Amino acid sequence: MITVRDLLRFSPSFRYGAIILMVVVVLIILSYFSPFEPDDRRAVPRNEPPSFEYLLGTTSTGQDVFWMLTFAIRNTMIIAGVAVIIGRTIGVLLGMISGYVGGTLDRVLSSIVDSVIVIPRLPLVILIASILRGQITIITLAVLIGILDWAYPSKRYRAQIFSLREREFTQTAVFAGMNTFKIVVQEHLPFLIPFLLADMVSGFLFAIGFEVTLSILGLSDLNAQSIGTMIYWGNYYQALLSKQIWVLAAPIAASVLIVVGFYLMSIGLGTYLDPRTRLKRLEVRG
Amino acid sequence: MSLLREFILPRLLQWALVIFVGITITFLIPRLSPVNPISQALGRLTAFQNVAPEAMVELRETLEDLYGLNGSIFDQYVAFWKRVLRGDLGPSFSAFPRSVNEMIGAGLGWTIGLLGTAVISSWLLGLLLGSLAGYFSNRWWSQVLDKLLIFIYPVPYYIVAFVLLMAFTFYLPIFPLVGGAKGTPGLNWEYISSVLHHSFLPAFSIMVGALAFRFIMAKTLATSELASDYVQYAEMGGLPRRKIITNYVMRNTMLPQITDLGLSLGAIFEGALITEVVFAYPGVGSVLYNSIISADYNVIMGITLLSIVGIATASLLVDLSYPLFDPRVRLR
Amino acid sequence: MARKVLFLLLLVLILAPAGVSVAQGPSGLPVDVPREELFVADQIYRFSSGIGNYNLWSNGDQPHRHALMMETLWLRDMETGELIMDVAISGPEYNDDFTQMNVNLREGIFWSDGVEFTADDLVYTIETIRANPDMPASGGWASQLNQYVDTVEKTGDYSVQFNLTESNPRFHTLFEARWNGIYMMPKHIFETVEDPVTFRFENPVVLGAYVPTQFDPNGYWELFERREDWERTPSGIITGNPGPKYILLIFYGDSAKKAIAMSRGELDVYFDVDYEAFQTTLDTTPTARSWYTEFPWAYPNEVDARNFDFNFESEPLFQNKDVRWALALSLNIVELQTEYIGGVAKVTMMPIPPTQLLSRLYHEPMQEWLNNLEIEIEPGEMFKPYDPTVPDQIAAWAEEQGYTVPGDPVDVFGYGWWKYAPDVAERLLLKNGFTRDGNGKWLKPDGTPWTIDLQSPPDENDAFRMGTAAADMWSDFGIQVNLQGLERSVWDQNRFVGQYQMSTPWFTFVLPSGDSWPQIRGWHPQYYVPNGEDFRSKGGGTAFRLNDPKIGEMIDAMAALSPDSEENVQAVIELSKYWVENMYSITAISFKKFVTWDQRYWTGFPTSENPNYMPLYWFQGGKFAFQNLTPVTQ
Repeated sequence: MITVRDLLRFSPSFRYGAIILMVVVVLIILSYFSPFEPDDRRAVPRNEPPSFEYLLGTTSTGQDVFWMLTFAIRNTMIIAGVAVIIGRTIGVLLGMISGYVGGTLDRVLSSIVDSVIVIPRLPLVILIASILRGQITIITLAVLIGILDWAYPSKRYRAQIFSLREREFTQTAVFAGMNTFKIVVQEHLPFLIPFLLADMVSGFLFAIGFEVTLSILGLSDLNAQSIGTMIYWGNYYQALLSKQIWVLAAPIAASVLIVVGFYLMSIGLGTYLDPRTRLKRLEVRG
Repeated sequence: MSLLREFILPRLLQWALVIFVGITITFLIPRLSPVNPISQALGRLTAFQNVAPEAMVELRETLEDLYGLNGSIFDQYVAFWKRVLRGDLGPSFSAFPRSVNEMIGAGLGWTIGLLGTAVISSWLLGLLLGSLAGYFSNRWWSQVLDKLLIFIYPVPYYIVAFVLLMAFTFYLPIFPLVGGAKGTPGLNWEYISSVLHHSFLPAFSIMVGALAFRFIMAKTLATSELASDYVQYAEMGGLPRRKIITNYVMRNTMLPQITDLGLSLGAIFEGALITEVVFAYPGVGSVLYNSIISADYNVIMGITLLSIVGIATASLLVDLSYPLFDPRVRLR
Repeated sequence: MARKVLFLLLLVLILAPAGVSVAQGPSGLPVDVPREELFVADQIYRFSSGIGNYNLWSNGDQPHRHALMMETLWLRDMETGELIMDVAISGPEYNDDFTQMNVNLREGIFWSDGVEFTADDLVYTIETIRANPDMPASGGWASQLNQYVDTVEKTGDYSVQFNLTESNPRFHTLFEARWNGIYMMPKHIFETVEDPVTFRFENPVVLGAYVPTQFDPNGYWELFERREDWERTPSGIITGNPGPKYILLIFYGDSAKKAIAMSRGELDVYFDVDYEAFQTTLDTTPTARSWYTEFPWAYPNEVDARNFDFNFESEPLFQNKDVRWALALSLNIVELQTEYIGGVAKVTMMPIPPTQLLSRLYHEPMQEWLNNLEIEIEPGEMFKPYDPTVPDQIAAWAEEQGYTVPGDPVDVFGYGWWKYAPDVAERLLLKNGFTRDGNGKWLKPDGTPWTIDLQSPPDENDAFRMGTAAADMWSDFGIQVNLQGLERSVWDQNRFVGQYQMSTPWFTFVLPSGDSWPQIRGWHPQYYVPNGEDFRSKGGGTAFRLNDPKIGEMIDAMAALSPDSEENVQAVIELSKYWVENMYSITAISFKKFVTWDQRYWTGFPTSENPNYMPLYWFQGGKFAFQNLTPVTQ
């Protein structure tokens, strides 16, 4: 059986990914020890560039960028996590039911999925945000994003499953008398899991990207720190124009690192779990 | 013929149903918004004027009449469908008396041009590079591309757009700040080159992210595919590499990728909202954004309608073409 | 092979525009006219209506476009407060009981197609507007004309007489443009038109000095060309200057874009940007300057003021005068104006901005009263809240930053404000049953924690920064403040229906002329509408649900007074005193705009050293700022 130790030892991408994510977790833990409250303005001198005292500099409203970032990472991860869980659960369930059961149920479900897909998401969310009239909290945002992102993925899972169903090994298994459940778990899942992992990463990206988009339009909870709102406030006080790049560079770098971390780990996991590529890899090593 | 009856007709029915349901939902939701278009209009018209109180009351009634917002929601709904089936999307509230058709028409060409090119070229390029990188996963260029795109892909789109804007209009001022083209439209090189000039940055900003996504997807799928037995047999059998890649690996990974392309193209009508706001590009997206903000129901409906039809049709076409791309798909 | 070709094609497609752009050079201007003859101005927002349709009576005016094209009888200059003769040649002449008004018009001004402007045009305009009350942009005018005008007739080729249905000393304000007014219609064009409401005036015949020639179908820009016969237009006559041959109005986007455009030499004036973008302009564009060459740079005399208002119904505590005073006294105005606003606006303690005229009429005469104003802390213990040293404190801060104050601190920073006295504020609260909990946070008399919901739109820069300042200071004081940055239309909507506790609106009691009644007539209790309904349902004007009969009396008294009279001024002072004593709103600063002009190609615009006209070119009366421009001689 594969253990995490093996993964760390043999898969460089998993290793790097894990390291990055450890850093992220450390930062999140640090946020609980922050000397400043997340919405404490004028706590430090304004517009200071990075130095020993202020690791990542300070903003125009007198907040320390480093400590703001720890809160931001925490909140963004919460939002993205909740959103991805909600979205992918619905998506996988629907996709699998549709793909395996087929027939009228598939058609009905597909119609529902299609009816939802056609509604353009960004305008819808902007509309909903204005309906909620500034009462959006982090969790509301997460749920909102999650509800938006199950339709596309469910279609893709359905497509993958259609493909898999018609493969030879499936037919073989059916002829051999394996029951459906066993087929799904033992034959198909190894193909689906890498796909799912890659898809979850894209789900994370979507959630983070959407959160940033909404925050930049000013539609999320502007008092809470998140990667998106840090960028919003950085822009509001014209960080790029006034050459205070650190204010924007910090959240951007953080978001890139987080997703890269996840992505690397998912590659590592994926290639390991996929029995076919395991063979190929062993070959190469030899 | 049974194909027609069993597959195509029900699918068409689904298409019509989807459009109908989608449009009805979009009809209802803006009306849930607390922002009232008449209050907004009143605010606009009387912002700096000192209007007498009696005048204010009269004005409100006039506006209700003009905007067609009297009567129950059901009345308005019926009137709406009657209008739409005639091809008339109604007058805009925020830009009264300009018609929605006019507003959409002015921006649609730009949006289609920009997004169409960006989506298609990034899809092609990404697919190509991704599949190749998947097959040749040990080559240096495959690794380099991989590492590079991993870092570009997660950057939120707005940042990419904004950084590009800053870099190439401020620090290195070689691109224009606003608009779709220079001068009057015409089929001369000057006009066409100005279109290219104005659209380069926005298109490039879209392509960066789309390309990275497609590359990563294609590579993942190709890598999965490569582990299959038939690929090993093909290699052992001495089939030329190119053939293996195009005829076998890529074709087998097409299904989800075509789905994505179709849906992306269908979503063109939604407009690239952020792109257009950042680059001041005169497409349909910024019109949509402004109409949402000011609760301009007719414009929201008009653009969303086009978008819904676009995506639904794209979805339909993609589904109908599954058998073409993947002969293994049998229909129950 | 085919694939390789495809690949190459894609590559070419991607790289071609880059090559093209290098060949073309950085000019991003969408029109092809000689740069030295072109003046590029900030269009402020993207046009969505009236594109290619210049029937501004139906369509609604757009700023600066109406200034360039349209004329009305009189214009009001915000800087000096004076009445400027536009199409009229003298002021309004009323009879004794204000039931008749006579106007004399200029002779020798012509429409852009060569037809002379006469009294016929004015009469025709009035009649047409009256007859078409469903013209969207003129609905308000039509209503009022129908209400007040009995008959209108010409008494000569250049004179018109209005007979009013009732006594109205302010009838002429319909034609006195601050933002806009009733524009003159060309009779010889409109009388041939079937329906003035839907008529698309695509090739407009204008009375102003500029004619629109090109426009962007997407609303981003519009090009105007000066008339050959510019000396036969009011602005030409008044300034005696031809002005730029071409004027391009263009919308670049937000503050950052405008600053970038100006640094590239593609924008000659912008109407406002946020503080940081302005600093960037100072750094990147040495030829650019605002009202003052140095600190505080900004034009401070736009007639409006920024306030915190209380919704008296959402939070019953706000009906208690002591609570309002406590909130005012726990704000440190010096810190607000310097740390948050950057020191670039004037402070004002009542909703009347201290411009030249208005200072003379109101602020000066009220200083003594303000200095002696007392509020009661305990029975028998009085406190004088007014602090006339505020401008000096701000000046001291400015000097610490290395700035020189360009004149008397009172002229630059305003007259004074309330003292920063949190101890007094505390006593006022304690007196009314408030208590502090263990952490020093305030509890309401019923024992629950005191939270204030403060709503502010981030895209209105100063309002939002002011809100941020208040949130910080009141938090320090011990009140939990929930600052909500709302999208503009949502913020508007909340105000319409009263769904807010405190907000940061901008309003003023007075017009640039000094008159007050038209601004506040809607505050009369007869128009009061409770929370939940749109406050304008009866035509009224208070979002904050004011329902005070005393205010009603004062408004009624003002209605009968002539706006230029001394009694009117006294009435406004009475109102201001009452308002201030009751602290019905906390006014913090007056309006400022970083109206910035780039002298690369044009000069002659209004500055503090040369305040010839007002620099607010987007108001009707701002046309002269453009007309007065002269090319920078090389």
